Amino acid sequence: MLFTLLGAFLLLQTQQTSPRTIAIDESLAARAKLKVGDTLTLLSRPGAEDFAVMTASPSGYTPGVAPAETVIVAAIVQRGADPSEVARGDLLVRMHLDQLQELSGYGDRVDRFAIATKPGARVGKLLDHINGVAFGFRAYRSRDIAVETSRTFQVVSRFHRAIGVITIVASSVFLLCIMVLKVEERRRDIAALRLMGISRATVVKSIIVEAALVSILGSVLGVALGYAVSLFVNWHYQALYRTPLAFSIVTPDIVGFAVLLSLLLGASAGVLASLRLVRTPPLVLLGR
Amino acid sequence: MLFILARASLVQHKARTILAVLGVAVAAAMLLDMVMLATGMRESFRELLLSRGFDIRLAPKGTLPFDTDAAIPSVDAITKVLRTNPDIREISPVLGASIHIQAANRDISGSVLGIDPTVQGDYELLSGQDVNQPDAIAVNDHLLNQIRARIGDTLSVATGYDPQTRTYSGQRKLVLTGRVRFLYGATDQSSAAVRRETLEAMRGDAVKDRASLFMIRVRKGADPDRVRDWIETYIPTVSAISISTAIAQVDQRLSYFRQLAFILGAVSLFVGFLLVTTLVTVSVNERSGEIAVMRAIGISRTHIIQQVVIEGVVISVVGALLGLGLGLGTARYLNSILSAFPGLPMAIDFFLFQPQAAWSALGLLVASGIAAGIYPAWRAGSLPISETLRREAIA
Repeated sequence: MLFTLLGAFLLLQTQQTSPRTIAIDESLAARAKLKVGDTLTLLSRPGAEDFAVMTASPSGYTPGVAPAETVIVAAIVQRGADPSEVARGDLLVRMHLDQLQELSGYGDRVDRFAIATKPGARVGKLLDHINGVAFGFRAYRSRDIAVETSRTFQVVSRFHRAIGVITIVASSVFLLCIMVLKVEERRRDIAALRLMGISRATVVKSIIVEAALVSILGSVLGVALGYAVSLFVNWHYQALYRTPLAFSIVTPDIVGFAVLLSLLLGASAGVLASLRLVRTPPLVLLGR
Repeated sequence: MLFILARASLVQHKARTILAVLGVAVAAAMLLDMVMLATGMRESFRELLLSRGFDIRLAPKGTLPFDTDAAIPSVDAITKVLRTNPDIREISPVLGASIHIQAANRDISGSVLGIDPTVQGDYELLSGQDVNQPDAIAVNDHLLNQIRARIGDTLSVATGYDPQTRTYSGQRKLVLTGRVRFLYGATDQSSAAVRRETLEAMRGDAVKDRASLFMIRVRKGADPDRVRDWIETYIPTVSAISISTAIAQVDQRLSYFRQLAFILGAVSLFVGFLLVTTLVTVSVNERSGEIAVMRAIGISRTHIIQQVVIEGVVISVVGALLGLGLGLGTARYLNSILSAFPGLPMAIDFFLFQPQAAWSALGLLVASGIAAGIYPAWRAGSLPISETLRREAIA
């Protein structure tokens, strides 16, 4: 009994005196060259808490000693895929709540509560209830907060859409130009076909089919290239910002849209180019 | 003669020439936009930082100005040390905070800067008077519209709100003396300015002798980066940010846009190049007989090559000139999208027109037009005369 009590006392003492643990993110680990097991001193502010102790001297300032805590790095964690953190370059330390409250002098306060509801719970009613009895805080749906905090990405998304439209216009002109050239290159073949008695409609249809095939082939190559570029973009930016966030996603919808648009543009270009030629008399096409 | 022949060749196939010029115009517009995006953002930011002549900013160690709630303590002591450097001409400590103004039974919140009006570099006065008195406050138009007040009105201003008791703290009556425009403020940001000592008094001991930011103007001819190094050596509790380091940090944060500009610019240039090459190659193939005849009657190979290259250059130059107008229009539209970034100072432009950027885009396109004409020109110049004439005669 005595030994048990002594053991418990020693365990308690050990727990009280041994440094507590923290987790740091990959960026901090890489920048400060830290690894699991390293011992660190944490301060809530640079230099002294009370800067009245700072003294001006010919060699500059000598900051006083701020309240500090010695901790051990227990884990290096990868950040979640949070778009709002991308490009900010912040370094992150995860601590125990009471540890941070003590270090920062925050007392028994928190910035926010996250609440998980049971499946099927009526979130709207719950929000009304919390806000009805709340004293000094307000509850929001995570979805609403996400909308508010993702304004930056809505702007980027609009910008991407605008760039996409410009790219589509440029591609359309390019495709139309190539199809016109391709069809015009065959003016003698078309003249010969017409002189042999092949109808205008058949000539136009054959050119449309050809244009469609070229468009589909180009789309397939484009999708493969786009997929490869997407992989590169994700690899590059995930390494640059140290985040698992997917920057570029190739979805079946996007592939379908791209192929359909290309097919439509190609076929339209084929129609326009072929109509010009079949309306010209065959002998004129032959230069007679 | 060269230009007449090139023109005749292009006019002969109007539809394809128009399409090619249009294609080059769109590619040129995109290229111009991307050159503007890559250089404009940095230039716009540099102009903004230099607009009031302050070369260095001091923020709490490890932060950017107003990026966090952290403050720099011992303002007086730091100011004394800064004054020992003869290269430092002017020092402007700034304290930032939130404010609540009660107007028409409503609570309107915004941000406030505590400044010294004689050395401040954060805003310009639009009308009224600066905050020369301890009880004076100047606000921007956004806040003015919200509080529906006029110059001369007395406002009830608080610096804190306790959610536990739903009461205001640091409350004080201030007289609205001026309308100002904050240089670094966002379009939809409600901001105000008061004297720093007024804000300190309102916020109490928590911010006594503290500043969120120091703005420093160096002596003419002095090197701001040397002064910055000196500050970081002698005042280790601050991060000193010169214009060059600030631009480097912005570059790092917005590197995505520069990379996007580079990639899309390169793609546009390549598309323009491909279009001109294809068009001129097809044109040369179609006119192989004509070229062979010209060679047969004694026209030199150089002359043929020059004519074909001129065709490519004409398409590129006309397309580029059209693209210039188109590019400026699309840049304006794209800039209006990106200016909606939350917290972006309204003076920042992502797409800034600079004549140098336009000349660069035009130069690149003309160079690509010349390059695009080289292959078809070489083919045209090296056509075997007799064989080509025979083939054409049979055809």
